[in-house]
Amino acid sequence: MHVDNLPAGGAAPPGTDTGPAGPPPVVTARGVTKAYGRTRALAGVDLAVRAGEVLGLVGHNGAGKSTLMRVLAGLEPCDTGTVLVHGRQASAGDFRTVRMAYQETSLCPDLTVAENMWVSSRHCLPRVRWRRAASDAVRRRLDEMFPGHGVSPRDRVEDLSLSRRQMVEIARACLVDRLDLLILDEPTESLGPDAARSLYAYVRRLTEAGTAVLLISHRIREVLSVADRVAVLRDGAVTAERPASGLTEPDVLGLMGAHVAAPPTFGAPTAAGTIARDTVAELLGATGPGLREVTLRVGKGEVVGLAGLAGQGQQEVLERLWRPVRRDTTVGVSRAYVPGDRQRSGVLPLWSVGDNLIVTALRGIARRGLRRPAEERAVVADWVKRLSIRGGAEAGITELSGGNQQKVIVARAFASPAGLVLLDDPFRGVDVHTKTDLYGLIRQEAAKGRSVVWYSSENAEMAHCDRVYVFRAGRVVAELTGEEISEERIIGVSFAEKGEDD
Amino acid sequence: MNIRVAGPRSWSGPWVWGFAAAALVWLVILVISGQGGGQTVSLALSLAPYLVIVGLGQMLVVTAGPGNIDVSVASVISLAGFVSVAVASATGSAAVGVLAGIGAGVLVAAVSTVAILGLSVPPIIATLAAGLVASSITLSTANGFTAVPDAGLRAALNLRPAGVPVLALAIAVLTVLVAALLRRTVYGRSLVAVGQNRRAAERAGIPVARVVAMTYLLSGALAGLTGALLAAYIAPSADLGTRYLLDSVAVVVIGGTLISGGRAVPVGVWGAALFFILLDGLVNLVGWSTAAQNLLKGGLVLFVLFLAGGGDRSGGLASLFRRRPRPAAATPTTITTTITGDDTDG
Repeated sequence: MHVDNLPAGGAAPPGTDTGPAGPPPVVTARGVTKAYGRTRALAGVDLAVRAGEVLGLVGHNGAGKSTLMRVLAGLEPCDTGTVLVHGRQASAGDFRTVRMAYQETSLCPDLTVAENMWVSSRHCLPRVRWRRAASDAVRRRLDEMFPGHGVSPRDRVEDLSLSRRQMVEIARACLVDRLDLLILDEPTESLGPDAARSLYAYVRRLTEAGTAVLLISHRIREVLSVADRVAVLRDGAVTAERPASGLTEPDVLGLMGAHVAAPPTFGAPTAAGTIARDTVAELLGATGPGLREVTLRVGKGEVVGLAGLAGQGQQEVLERLWRPVRRDTTVGVSRAYVPGDRQRSGVLPLWSVGDNLIVTALRGIARRGLRRPAEERAVVADWVKRLSIRGGAEAGITELSGGNQQKVIVARAFASPAGLVLLDDPFRGVDVHTKTDLYGLIRQEAAKGRSVVWYSSENAEMAHCDRVYVFRAGRVVAELTGEEISEERIIGVSFAEKGEDD
Repeated sequence: MNIRVAGPRSWSGPWVWGFAAAALVWLVILVISGQGGGQTVSLALSLAPYLVIVGLGQMLVVTAGPGNIDVSVASVISLAGFVSVAVASATGSAAVGVLAGIGAGVLVAAVSTVAILGLSVPPIIATLAAGLVASSITLSTANGFTAVPDAGLRAALNLRPAGVPVLALAIAVLTVLVAALLRRTVYGRSLVAVGQNRRAAERAGIPVARVVAMTYLLSGALAGLTGALLAAYIAPSADLGTRYLLDSVAVVVIGGTLISGGRAVPVGVWGAALFFILLDGLVNLVGWSTAAQNLLKGGLVLFVLFLAGGGDRSGGLASLFRRRPRPAAATPTTITTTITGDDTDG
């Protein structure tokens, strides 16, 4: 959890300027509605963001958060209702000072960092020698926001890691002459704890200068520690607006309409019978780019976690298991893969939910290369119902919210007959409710004899594993079983060898 | 799900325009020449199938995603023409000749495939190189080539009971088969998935390399078939296939297949092919030169591509008035990103 690392001093919000007579609103939404095809995203939203405040926006996936952001940023017209900027009916140019950093980064992958700045901020850049101006500006902004970011303006975006792409995305949003409202959509989902801390320090400096910040996040504790006010979005409408100071996480979850179930230790890992299981996959002293003598084994029906800080070799292990080409890797069963970066490696954008869901399984269903539509439909209907995917099988995949898209991608893997399912941090940006469903799904499928290898950047998720390997600098530094698996333990082990190793 | 015979939403649109344009040109011909329109249609139906066969192959290749194109089809057609005629006259069997033509196409495509998948050569370069190999073989064969096409096959190709060419019916069946291949088979489904998002397809467990290889080989086979039939219909010559390079790409695009991949429209190839053949007829009727014909066709392809990218382009224009395209418009975006990407890289 990134919040835990935030300095306690900064966490206390000013709280004074949140009264009704506070500063004037920068952007106001009145009775805003919006629908995509058959999916109604917003059903009459009233919301005001005031100058100099951090407004936290929380809600389940599909509650309409992303849509509301796009409307407030002037990226999309609303169907009915109005959006006021500085109290006036907003027209085209007014949204210039409202900037948004996206959750699915919106950078052009083939362009360099500096060129991407030109794409979004060309009205602030000189016409000649813009490349140099953009490079200088983005370097300065990144240094300010994320000291030690390691991004060069000449890097191609495609070559950057997810967290660096996210940094560039946020810096790009701030790169403008005048910034009245900054919208951050799940900014810390792919940032490390250090970067998250730097980001919030920068946010505080921005608000002191009078900029309004709208923060959307599933990390409720993080929102509570950073925001002055919290607005709860539910089924496309704002159902509650409270000062953040008195609120606790269960309060907010309650407002969101979550069943505040006991923290998901249900269906807990079965008795640590690691010896009795047949081995389905194994790495023996695997060494290569990013990996140093990694030895691990996966038993039948076992959920194996790969934990540790981001980028310590966990994804390389998944890659080895997905394509076992080297002799140090043996995998005895068929595999399915659930990518975390769903826009780039998950969604097939021209197809419906059903087509997207069945694409892996249809290979097994088909007879002699010919598809069997009736059987496919049955499987799709079953999974759409089981994961209650909004919109149903016929809806276009791009009409769905991010969380529901992710459900489809997860269902795609589990609908196939694969004996080993590889999860590559798939629950980033998925709301608590959906996550709980999917955790349950993983345990059920494991009980049926499927093996799961699960990399997660969220240490709390590792509690659902039978066994956890903790990674550091390409090595397995610890193997935790059953009761030993806890967030504290994992964090302890991930940092333990620091200093000795470097 | 699009499992039903036709996903109604995607089917009401793109392929209609080729047929509509063909009908329009036919009407103009009718007005200008003042002669029976049935004869014109019959003639168009006997010429169009050759373009349709090679177009179907090109369509499969284009569907495999951005950057995929087979520019070797012209050389393959010429080569397959010679090979099939030579083999047919040597063995005395037209069927063996046609099979040999198809085989020649597959061999050339195999060269492209190895270059694309094994050496990571961009498809346009790989197929261009394979095409060059094919045409140099053609040129050396053409010297002192004396064999004549099989008379029986030629007669069959000219068979027109009640004005309807038998070949057109056969190729209509082939088109239906290709449509079924795309919709009903694992290979077809995989191809369409690869074309939409290659990375996602790979993660979904689709053997991307095998699908791409299969696609180029199919295109080679279909181009080979075109060459074999065309050589029997006209006569083998070194420039038998020349016009089919531009035309095969054009009929695919005009037929409504997405140039960025992920959506194939087999029926559209027919409409566009008929349109092109009739347009040739019209232009000949008016008395334009071949150069002017090509100018017209090239312009048409550009125009259609402009319209195809139009969803996003109009969004781009409209953004002057601060209106943005919907996020769901995923495909036209891909086209424009590629274009802008190229522009800025230079």
